[in-house]
Amino acid sequence: MSQLLVLGERALREAKRTPDALLPTLLIPLFFLVVNVGQAAKIFPSGSTPFLEGQNYAAFQLPSALLLAASFGTSALYLVEEIENGYFDKLRAAPVSRTALALGRLSSEAVKSIGMTTVIVLLALPFGITMATGPLGFVLLVVLTAGWAVGYSAFLQFIAMKTRSAAATNSASLVFFPLLFLTPNFVPRDLLTRPMEIAATLNPVTYVMEAMRSLILEDFNWTVIGRGFLVVVVFVALMLAINVQTMRRYD
Amino acid sequence: MVVTVEAEQLVKTFESRAETVEAVRGVDLQVTSGEIFGFLGPNGAGKSTTVRMLTTLTTITSGRARVAGVDVTADPDETRRRIGVALQEAGLDPRQTGRELLTLQARLFGSSRSAALERAGELLELVDLVDAGDRLIRGYSGGMKRRLDLASALVHEPEVLFLDEPTTGLDPVSRLVVWEEVRRINELGTTVFLTTQYLEEADQLCDRLAIIDGGLIVQEGTPAQLKADLKLRRGIDGEPTLDDVFLDVTGRTRERVAGEVQEVHG
Repeated sequence: MSQLLVLGERALREAKRTPDALLPTLLIPLFFLVVNVGQAAKIFPSGSTPFLEGQNYAAFQLPSALLLAASFGTSALYLVEEIENGYFDKLRAAPVSRTALALGRLSSEAVKSIGMTTVIVLLALPFGITMATGPLGFVLLVVLTAGWAVGYSAFLQFIAMKTRSAAATNSASLVFFPLLFLTPNFVPRDLLTRPMEIAATLNPVTYVMEAMRSLILEDFNWTVIGRGFLVVVVFVALMLAINVQTMRRYD
Repeated sequence: MVVTVEAEQLVKTFESRAETVEAVRGVDLQVTSGEIFGFLGPNGAGKSTTVRMLTTLTTITSGRARVAGVDVTADPDETRRRIGVALQEAGLDPRQTGRELLTLQARLFGSSRSAALERAGELLELVDLVDAGDRLIRGYSGGMKRRLDLASALVHEPEVLFLDEPTTGLDPVSRLVVWEEVRRINELGTTVFLTTQYLEEADQLCDRLAIIDGGLIVQEGTPAQLKADLKLRRGIDGEPTLDDVFLDVTGRTRERVAGEVQEVHG
């Protein structure tokens, strides 16, 4: 446990010292939020759009921005850099548990995501967005987003260990975009065309997004929230297991 | 005489879809406690792969290795506790300070925060980096990075220190400084396993050495023994150098090496 803390602390120090890498992960999702709302808000006025539950369209779009912010996984690129410069071998040559090695950076991703989600939600509040589920809902929203951030970073970290290539890791991070566009990103699932509805139903990101949206727009809908958490828990468990296994077999 | 590093028929094979490469083809080695052992060989001979196997960084395809009395494959974590490693690239995190890096390394070896900080201070002093200790490593010169890398391999006072080409790319002054550090570390009782491409370095530092070529040990002995043996075998009039020994056992000639160099630059 102490090794995990030490390695997580180092990864956070690294993030603090590279604000130029952290800033785009905040600004790009905010940019998408502003642009998407600017393009579609007039089509969905809050008074006459039932799925907005009395809020404005930005509240509906907020989960997309949060998921995007949680899916950059910059720490995987630092890992590739470490593999290339030999520091990763230095860590591997120490009697560090392979689990701690795999999870060290990921724990810092959770902390970064908690900070990032809080900042984005706070920035959204002046624009009329409220948390329908109150402070507890906010905490659940932060935890859910951080969970997704850990899972997706673990996926990128796995790619980094397998390919040892910055280009391949960078390319893998783009996988999130088709996943995001195959969700009920602009309208609820029942308003999508049939093929898109099928694609969205098959896409696990949909359930995370719907859970986040539910926390922002509705009172506690535990079925929807539970489904989102279940997806994140399964995704994180799977990715962590793959990471630890890859770390143990790294040659 | 205690054997600290022992390899028996060590083999490493790398397999890809396209080919199978036998990088190390059956290496036998014995390094005794307290010596500086030199491991020489041309590029691609299997030096680094052998070191990576002995330091648990690469799995052993077949054969057996024991370091500081511990079977490397059976108990890699115990092996790691007993060895220090400074690899070919000075493996450092450029976004940390020298002190932070050493403290982190000490904590990974089980020291408390305060003990780790104290140890970091001692090591910065040992490698003469006290003034630069709180600067980010990205601003260090090549020589400073090498010295810090050496220090980080010593945080837990290892029984055996593996140094993989520790002076490659360093200017002559920095190289001499690293030599001094290696001697000092050895005098404190640490066995040193050193790979190098610089024969002068091996001659200056090593008590005994082995030459590997094509994944096999082709010669082993003290520098003086190897030179005397060559003089006797070839009937050389003058005193042969370690360069002559190296060229002789690896089947290379000065002309061929010069030709290879010309081709690269041509």
